[in-house]
Amino acid sequence: MIANLWSLLGLAFKQLSRHRIRSLLTVAGVSIGMFLYAAVETMQRSLNLMTESSDEDNTLVVYRKHRFCPMTSRLPERYVEDIRRIEGVVEVLPVQITVNNCGASLDIITFRGVPTDSLQSYNPNLEVKSGSYAAWQTRSDAALIGSQFAKRRGLEPGDQFEAVGVRVWVAGIIDSPEAQDNNVAYVGLPFLQQASNVGLGVVTQFNVRVQRPADLEPVAKRIDALFASDQDPTYTRPEKAFFAQTAKEMIELVGFTRWLGLGAVFAVLGLLANALLLAARFRAKESAIYQTIGFSQVSVGMIMVLEGALLGFAGGVVGCLSAALFFHWNRFTLGNEGLTLALSPSFEVVAYGLVVALVLGLLASVWPAWVSARKPIVALLRSA
Amino acid sequence: MNTEIFIECKKASKSYRKGQNTITPLEELDLEVPKGEFLALMGPSGSGKTTLLNLIAGIDRPTSGTLIVGGEDLTSYSRSELTKWRSLSCGYIFQLYHLVPILTAYENVELPLLLDKSLGRKQRRERVESALDLVGLADRADHRPSELSGGQEQRVAIARAIVKDPGLLVADEPTGDLDRDSGAQILELLKALAEDYGKTIVMVTHDVLAAEAARRTLYLDKGRLSESGARLKGELA
Repeated sequence: MIANLWSLLGLAFKQLSRHRIRSLLTVAGVSIGMFLYAAVETMQRSLNLMTESSDEDNTLVVYRKHRFCPMTSRLPERYVEDIRRIEGVVEVLPVQITVNNCGASLDIITFRGVPTDSLQSYNPNLEVKSGSYAAWQTRSDAALIGSQFAKRRGLEPGDQFEAVGVRVWVAGIIDSPEAQDNNVAYVGLPFLQQASNVGLGVVTQFNVRVQRPADLEPVAKRIDALFASDQDPTYTRPEKAFFAQTAKEMIELVGFTRWLGLGAVFAVLGLLANALLLAARFRAKESAIYQTIGFSQVSVGMIMVLEGALLGFAGGVVGCLSAALFFHWNRFTLGNEGLTLALSPSFEVVAYGLVVALVLGLLASVWPAWVSARKPIVALLRSA
Repeated sequence: MNTEIFIECKKASKSYRKGQNTITPLEELDLEVPKGEFLALMGPSGSGKTTLLNLIAGIDRPTSGTLIVGGEDLTSYSRSELTKWRSLSCGYIFQLYHLVPILTAYENVELPLLLDKSLGRKQRRERVESALDLVGLADRADHRPSELSGGQEQRVAIARAIVKDPGLLVADEPTGDLDRDSGAQILELLKALAEDYGKTIVMVTHDVLAAEAARRTLYLDKGRLSESGARLKGELA
């Protein structure tokens, strides 16, 4: 007879809780695998958010043609007026970027020099969490620090810090829905042009906001056409495509981690299957007892399946939550060519990880459950 | 005792293959057991006692012949039907108790009741406490098998066998692993279950003294049954 599912779940739980050491070791193994899996998924998801275009995208990046690093992309600041006149353009922000490292790095420091009167109008969602926006506008060496950057470096308003030969005073800490903003230091454009020795009137790129997403392509073409015969021709792309093309090294690196994630999944599957198979063989007598009492083969197998699910789920909870907390506390950023990728934990990754762990537990228990239930009672009793 | 036949076995044979050979532990066996009888089955090792017990308990099926228990023809039942029948109609007592080691005495006795979805937690508790009370172990409900003596473990196994109030109890050498005093207590319990509660009990044993607790003893040898009283007494003398 098929017993009540809750009763079987209770029996499965007792099997695990009363073989405490075995269960803890298995859950520990599963959680390590799921930690790795969730870490890889966090990187993948963070990258997808940065590179996958959506219907709401309306930002273009104008870069110097055939240049890929902020140190070599130099465009005249005066282009700003020409770009602004193009039909469909809403806002243009000239940006000077200075970074400590153009290659792929785990701790990149990025200064963005922008006109102090344009930043908030260009990005109205930018919020000053502490400190003062007005102080940033009035003091020449003032910087608005992204919240992730500030936490990583332990910076607060009033502090001073120096990087890439640029010394700034922290006027405020900002928070923005744009992940990039949370990992950079905004300073006044003229200040950075001088401090980084690129000279006044030179910028790295223009960020251009268009009226509608449908305007992205025609506006990009018009901008590039406008400066095609100029001494500094441009190459204009949507912001996410720009990220995807510019940060190739980083994307390849993150892409490789998929294999690690897949390996972690197979390791978890193998570990669970091994633990459950050993338990099934060890419990031949118990299987005979259950069946003699009147538990059906399905019920006996179901106990094993539920054990697998519980082990997988418990390992998933520990592993995925640990990964989320790890990324939350450490606030890692991957940087490449002046672009930063914040590795941010997300509810989706944790929820997806739990489902994966549960499915792995169920999959891993199928064969042990079959082994546990298929033998005739007489044979089981004889071997007991 | 009731004269109604509870177990009726006609020309029941059981054979199975072991490698190249076919082994037939039971051959065309006839047996009738009245309702409420306490029957002992004796015989040398390999005589087919446990095989017969397994057939009566519905955990194995005869190769040929018929076996009717409590009015139900077990030979026509599928594996799942036999499972259902066992859960409702038969309690099995093993020589080595076979309690689930990770469960307490209470939880072991509760196991068969988990199959009955109509029973709530409270009803299950009442039945388990009543069964443990009957075998004199109400105060050991929270103990695991490893914390009980052999005799106590066997009494828990009996409580588990009777908790659903089945008409049939089968016991495979229930005193075989116990000292004399514990064995005597178990036999008294089985006797009371037959006499006071009307259970039909079939017990396999090697122990002549244990067999004496039964109302009737049958001797099984080379797959055939015989009335054993005179023969056993003659052997003992």
